[in-house]
Amino acid sequence: MATTLDLHCHSEASEDSRAPVEAYLNWIKLRRDERPLDGIVLTEHRQFNRDADYRALEDRFGIMVLNASEVETDYGHMLVFGVNDDILSRFDFSDIRLNAQEVIDGVAAMGGVVVPCHPGRPNIGLCDHYDKKPPLENVLAVELLNGGSRKGEDQRSAELIKRHGFRATGGSDSHLVSLIGLCATRFEARVRTIEELVSELKGGRFEAVDFRPRRSAVPRAIPVEAR
Amino acid sequence: MAVEYDPAIIGRVFEQTDPQPVAAEDIKTFCQSIGETNPLFTDEAAASAGPYGGLIAPPSFAVTFRNGRHFFSLVPRFGKTGFDAGKDVEFVAPIRPGDQIRLASHVKEIYEKTGRSGSMVFVIIRCTLQNQNDEVVAHIDHRFMSKA
Repeated sequence: MATTLDLHCHSEASEDSRAPVEAYLNWIKLRRDERPLDGIVLTEHRQFNRDADYRALEDRFGIMVLNASEVETDYGHMLVFGVNDDILSRFDFSDIRLNAQEVIDGVAAMGGVVVPCHPGRPNIGLCDHYDKKPPLENVLAVELLNGGSRKGEDQRSAELIKRHGFRATGGSDSHLVSLIGLCATRFEARVRTIEELVSELKGGRFEAVDFRPRRSAVPRAIPVEAR
Repeated sequence: MAVEYDPAIIGRVFEQTDPQPVAAEDIKTFCQSIGETNPLFTDEAAASAGPYGGLIAPPSFAVTFRNGRHFFSLVPRFGKTGFDAGKDVEFVAPIRPGDQIRLASHVKEIYEKTGRSGSMVFVIIRCTLQNQNDEVVAHIDHRFMSKA
């Protein structure tokens, strides 16, 4: 049984988002035909809220909510899945200068997994850093599809993925309710817990999926006589 | 290099204004300027029969109170350039005609983040509005962004 999750989104717990989790779930429920998600993974900026409990909302909407984090490193932003007390003791998530290699290796050793996000984005994506510095080791997957990408950024990500043979994830990077689920990741297996998510990410059994509406071609001008 | 500042500045009130009176006319003018027609804010008779027992100001009236004269010179600065990155307003209690509102400002938070344009430092200044009864009526969080 496949599972489709938006692996990258921000609720009002992030300082630059105003989206309540409840509103995200309501939006998904109303638009499941367009964005068929089984759940979302909250990746709040530079923090992890270990006390967050969304079980009541999960039950109400029938949509899973998992917790992760987005940290900032010397190779750009990275999603950390499977955050636990050991990881939080080792790394100060509020530090915007974390050593990326240490984060990747340290998190893996402590039971989690790191996915560099929006690699095609200037300054805070892997591509810019790979242009100037040696590539990182032990990167299993990077985010191919990001709902906040500007023109050309996902293409840069795709080229990086092809060059290095990474697996590819997708996430909306939503900061606004209406953007939730525009990009997601489809797992072959049933995923119901953060431990299962980490296991499937490490196993590579997933693909990025794009639910963004296709833009129509530039509208043709309507002849004056036809108006 | 991490941003450096004295952590003691967090939470310390650095400026407080004198009480500013609120007149019914001020509320009326404000409502006219934003097209507000709700009788709770515009019609004294109707408002008297409403849940607040009298005329109150629309919530957004809270942002009309001015900071102190030295506010901007006292806000901690990092780097050479920056801009106002927005405001969050929390409405706590109604503002009524006859109130005397004063603002107290303190640094709520300083943090760094990185984005497409590089690293940035954000300073959050919280202005707390209190009335003549020391009742908090609103919090306004001003977000200022600085770049090196």
